[in-house]
Amino acid sequence: MGLVTREIEAAGIPTVAISLALEITQNVGVPRALFVKWPLGHPLGEANAPAQQRTILFESLRLLLTATEPGVIAEPGYRWRRQEYSEPVWGELEIVNGE
Amino acid sequence: MSNPKPSASFIQRLQNRFFAIPAVAEWWAGRFVRRVRSSADGPTPFAHLTKPLAECTVALITTGGVHLTSQPAFDMADPDGDATLREIPGDVALADLTITHDYYNHSSADRDLNVIFPLEQFRELAQRGVIGGVARRHFGLMGHIEGEHLRRLQEKTAPEIAAKLRADGVDFAFLTPA
Repeated sequence: MGLVTREIEAAGIPTVAISLALEITQNVGVPRALFVKWPLGHPLGEANAPAQQRTILFESLRLLLTATEPGVIAEPGYRWRRQEYSEPVWGELEIVNGE
Repeated sequence: MSNPKPSASFIQRLQNRFFAIPAVAEWWAGRFVRRVRSSADGPTPFAHLTKPLAECTVALITTGGVHLTSQPAFDMADPDGDATLREIPGDVALADLTITHDYYNHSSADRDLNVIFPLEQFRELAQRGVIGGVARRHFGLMGHIEGEHLRRLQEKTAPEIAAKLRADGVDFAFLTPA
């Protein structure tokens, strides 16, 4: 997946990737990644957990808007199945987006 | 998600449970790193959004083996994987998608595809006005690509995706692993 992010980014399109394997992401050199220490097969979390899934999208979009250099890996530190999620405050993205 | 196909073998399922443990996945990643490093040399590229997020179109790309039930499945018989591409229309019904990928446990994604391919969630963000919209097509790949197929991914499949994203006027791409 890292190779694909690099190719897209080199074509002038920004990317944000979820990472479930920190060491690979660091070494491949992914432009922007959000690392979650969760089991493989669960990049957005658990099934039928919309608040959890949207939290991951929110963090990904924030990273897309705020990263200023390649290779940034954000680590929100969410615990697997021991974390409570609420609906993200989407308006915060407009603030970081400078709208 | 109802496409019947032969299920992964008992050994494979056992292996998938083992690799689902984060510490084991990290150990595996350390071994994997040495092989991929040489194929991703040079500085990491970096592009910027050219418009406000609320006007941006997103394309989804996953290496989790997602494809239309009407498309050929990824080749699970080749130990080096399958570096080919499956185009997924932006207006697809999630019921018309399935996962072919024996190397991870996708039972959660089988129940709720948003776990690995959050198209419904992005559609909702577009409705709320957080993003501009979803692209006219998205891309399914199979991770676990090695050997000669790694070269095909790098020289053919990845540039093809980039060219299609540009042709579709995509403003950013969101990628998920298996």
